Amino acid sequence: MTGPTRREMLVLGAGAMLAVPAMAQETPRRGGVLTVHFATEQRILNPSLQASTGVYIVGGKIQEALLDLDAEGRPVGVLAESWESAPDGLTHTFRLRRGVTWHDGRPFTSADVQFTAMEMWKKILNYGTTLQQFLTEVQTPDPHTAVFKYSRPMPQGLLLRALPDLGYVSPKHVFETGDIRQNPANTAPIGTGPFRFVQYERGQFIIAERNPNYWREGMPYLDRVVWRVVGDRAAAAAQMEAGQILFSPYSSLTIADLQRLGRDPRFEVTTRGNEGNVRTNTLEFNFRNPVLADIRVRRAIAHALNVPFFIENFLGPFAKPGTGPIPSVSTDYYPGPDVPQYPYDPALANRLLDEAGQRRGQGGLRFALRLLPAPWGEDIALWATFIQQSLQQVGIRIEIVRNDAAGYLRSVYRDHAFDLATGWHQYRSDPAVSTTVWYRSGSPVGAPWTNQWGWKDDRIDALIDAAATEVDPAKRRALYAEFVRAVQTELPLWMPIEQIFVSVFNRRVRNAGNNPRWASSSWHDTWLAS
Amino acid sequence: MRILRLAGRRLAASLPTLLIILAGMFLLLQLAPGDTVDALMAQIGGGDAAFAAEMRRFYGLDAGVPAQLWNYLSRLATLDLGHSAIYGKSVATVILERLPATLLLMVSALSFAFSFGLVLGVIAARRVNRWPDTLISTLGLIFYATPSFWFGLMAIVVFSVHLQWLPAGGLSDITRSLSGLAAVVDVARHLVLPTLTLGLIFLAIYLRIMRASMLEVLSLDFVRTARAKGLSETRVVARHVLRNAMLPMVTLIGLQAGTMLGGSVVVESVFALPGLGRLAYESVVQRDLNTLLGIIFVSALLVIAINFLVDILYARLDPRISAEE
Amino acid sequence: MRALRAFLRSPAAVIGSVILLAVLVMGVSAHWFYPGDPLGLAGRPLQWPGQNPRFPLGTDPSGRDIAAQLFHGARVSLLIGFVATAIAALIGIAIGALAGFYGGAVDTALMRVTEAFQTVPNFLLLLVLVAVFGSTIETVTIAIGIVSWPPVARLTRAEFLTLRTRDFVQACRVQGLSDAHLILREVLPNALPPVIVYASVVMAVAILLESALAFLQLSDPNVPSWGNLIGLGRNVLRTEWYVSAIPGVAILLTILGVSLVGQGLNDALNPRLASGR
Repeated sequence: MTGPTRREMLVLGAGAMLAVPAMAQETPRRGGVLTVHFATEQRILNPSLQASTGVYIVGGKIQEALLDLDAEGRPVGVLAESWESAPDGLTHTFRLRRGVTWHDGRPFTSADVQFTAMEMWKKILNYGTTLQQFLTEVQTPDPHTAVFKYSRPMPQGLLLRALPDLGYVSPKHVFETGDIRQNPANTAPIGTGPFRFVQYERGQFIIAERNPNYWREGMPYLDRVVWRVVGDRAAAAAQMEAGQILFSPYSSLTIADLQRLGRDPRFEVTTRGNEGNVRTNTLEFNFRNPVLADIRVRRAIAHALNVPFFIENFLGPFAKPGTGPIPSVSTDYYPGPDVPQYPYDPALANRLLDEAGQRRGQGGLRFALRLLPAPWGEDIALWATFIQQSLQQVGIRIEIVRNDAAGYLRSVYRDHAFDLATGWHQYRSDPAVSTTVWYRSGSPVGAPWTNQWGWKDDRIDALIDAAATEVDPAKRRALYAEFVRAVQTELPLWMPIEQIFVSVFNRRVRNAGNNPRWASSSWHDTWLAS
Repeated sequence: MRILRLAGRRLAASLPTLLIILAGMFLLLQLAPGDTVDALMAQIGGGDAAFAAEMRRFYGLDAGVPAQLWNYLSRLATLDLGHSAIYGKSVATVILERLPATLLLMVSALSFAFSFGLVLGVIAARRVNRWPDTLISTLGLIFYATPSFWFGLMAIVVFSVHLQWLPAGGLSDITRSLSGLAAVVDVARHLVLPTLTLGLIFLAIYLRIMRASMLEVLSLDFVRTARAKGLSETRVVARHVLRNAMLPMVTLIGLQAGTMLGGSVVVESVFALPGLGRLAYESVVQRDLNTLLGIIFVSALLVIAINFLVDILYARLDPRISAEE
Repeated sequence: MRALRAFLRSPAAVIGSVILLAVLVMGVSAHWFYPGDPLGLAGRPLQWPGQNPRFPLGTDPSGRDIAAQLFHGARVSLLIGFVATAIAALIGIAIGALAGFYGGAVDTALMRVTEAFQTVPNFLLLLVLVAVFGSTIETVTIAIGIVSWPPVARLTRAEFLTLRTRDFVQACRVQGLSDAHLILREVLPNALPPVIVYASVVMAVAILLESALAFLQLSDPNVPSWGNLIGLGRNVLRTEWYVSAIPGVAILLTILGVSLVGQGLNDALNPRLASGR
């Protein structure tokens, strides 16, 4: 067999170049259809009403927010061009972009921002209701200026960090009549984004096409985006390999498939683009069980779990040991690893349990506990099994109680019918938005992902309240550091594992993952190589 | 005309049953922990108490259970199946959207199982206790014992991923807009593996029934008479035996209709088909009472209709019309 | 007994019995071969069969010995099959006997209820029951029994309808025997054979239903059932397919055994339909 021809060498060389991840020098190619794995259908597609990655994956391409994040994770203007805040934190002014139109041709103005903020973010949007609870009005001195007025100080950092997720704007002229929640535009969105909604076939697909009047000149590059509904994870991986899907977001494939596709040169399996979507695995204790109310027992349980071993053998390269409720990717608030930790030490665990008066009895058993794992993650199931196996070694028998999603939320957060529970804490850009609710007392019974442990600490409550309204960034950071130290010592719940969601790209997709919330972002600069 | 009257009477006779089913399921689901707002919260990954309270009001969950049941039944009397919590549309619309996929799947699987079961059963009966019979019967037993979801997944691995002969899921190729014959072929290709998966166990059942039924009929007097008359074996089988032997098969179709819908839950999940089975599973998990009850209502009507048709078919094939004296 | 000899003469029945016996032995001897907790952490997860001499059948995604789960699971799967079948049989025979014996309004009412249960797809009803009552092994078994009784009831009713007009029943009535005596002592023993044969079908379906539930992650995770193992293997199906394949084969063989035994019972108790005649 003769060696390769010159032509073949050129082709090989070009192929080798294209196989290298996106280089800034490549010229974007116009056209093509990006097919996306859509794992869980949500009830609506409007991100002004529902804050969820499952909504942003679709709605974020059709509607836009006031801000987004740039490649370094700093707020960058989308529908807002510039902003300034008063030093007292009670007034925040946004200058809006000119020349932007809605997909139905009407102009985008400050009236839309006022309507969306007051009627949707403040009254309906989950997490928005908490964030904007002290928002009193949005003034519109002219069609391109929106002034947010608060009755209590709103730290600018908190607002700017939250708006990329919680700041999507909906058109006032579409929603002002009738019940907002029943509006058909919730499943056929009208926005200002790079893609226009075309069709939604429930259970099958969603199609959006290029918006020719998009305010960014020359963009988007793609012709269409098609979201394929595939609930079964194995089937999704198969479709990925068959080329029917080009992008799978948010760790929607099995851990084994993620690792396998990672070794396949056609795909890129990475956490790049998801740095803003961090979650920690929780271990929640129910203080109503007097055994768990004893801090020695809680610490013993933590010491009985070999977290690095678990991560290395079961979760693969996409997880790392966590050091507290604020994850390491949070550059503004992460206090560092120098807070109380609980390394694997079964001898210490046994000693603590003996000291707490829980001696071994028949068959080496001390006591039994019910563990409720949340049903929405493969890693949660593996972690629950590992907890069962590990605690068996120190004489605690664990019974795993299975529930579906609604049953889990009811059993843990309303009925409190659990001893241990494990799920995800999703860190949403700022501790005040998503994290401190897990510790602050006073949440009504039944509110999920809040302190329902039957535990209360006044000092920690005070720290949380002070930090939420502290305007000075440095002081705020220090308050949160103290908060982390306090909860790591008291251990009302433990967050030992930190994970960033994983995306799987077919390498044909370019400019993918170029900001920390890319999967939720608008994809105006995404293109497909042939 | 007579058929319509018979159908009407059959429907009227089934009304008490329908009522028991619907009321029973409604009350049963009230006992399930968590409601549709809990499922919604789980889906969006977060929300506060005010949001939850507001949504409960929106879905009408703040009324008492007897009031909700009464509302449901009185709406049903006007054939209003209610509003789906998950989809924000009327349940009737949602079901009509998903019905075609399930009907297509069930009809294909049934036809596949019936026809192949018939042919293989006849072959096995004609060569009884010889190697074709042993082979076919053994295969039948293995098909019966194979878990359908396992078979489906393995089929995807072999035929879609490794051989790339068939698509891995979905009902059609949505990246291309096809029409006419090309669209039909596309859907057919997508249905090959799901049909095989769903139909496998029914194939085994029909095979066994057909074989047993053939053997029974072949031993009857009138067959011996026909043979004595000098008719060829094939003629005997085709004209006299088959018609009688098929009767139990036809009855079985009616009995299997409900089981098939249950089996389609798993098959639709594995192959990502937008059908009623998966919709039913979703409604249970998301506590969407209206949708679940609507599906059960529709499937009950379907089963009643199929049984009615089967009875008519049975009457047409009735042995009184055949050669038996 | 003539029936027993007829049973043993059928090669299918013998093979089926041998298979079932093997499964039973596996279950009973599990504690000898694999003492300790089969669900405990035994080694590194996802090792292939034969890769490590300690684990001839490999390990599952949670690092548990598959062979140990296979042996202990035999007991669980057989138990689920037996108990669910017993529950279905009890309910079905009771309802069918009463309906067939008394006829009239009792029959109509009971048949409406039976129809109701039969019209709802049984897997769907199972999903609802599990969602409502939970996923412990006890509730799953009872739920499977509850969705499986209608065919048993219909069969029993059909038998009772034919038998109650027979002479020996009339004779007993004339003698003034109570209804309960008639049902339990005279008619039921004659009605049972086809029901016993059908019980093998119910058992096969029960084991399949449990494995389907486990596949959907809805079964009890605290017991080493074969279905749970298949469900665990779902996430690694492409590469470590043996995790689902091995218990899948075990289920296949067990159901094969149950079906063959059922067929043998049918041939022995219904000689009229025996093949070849």
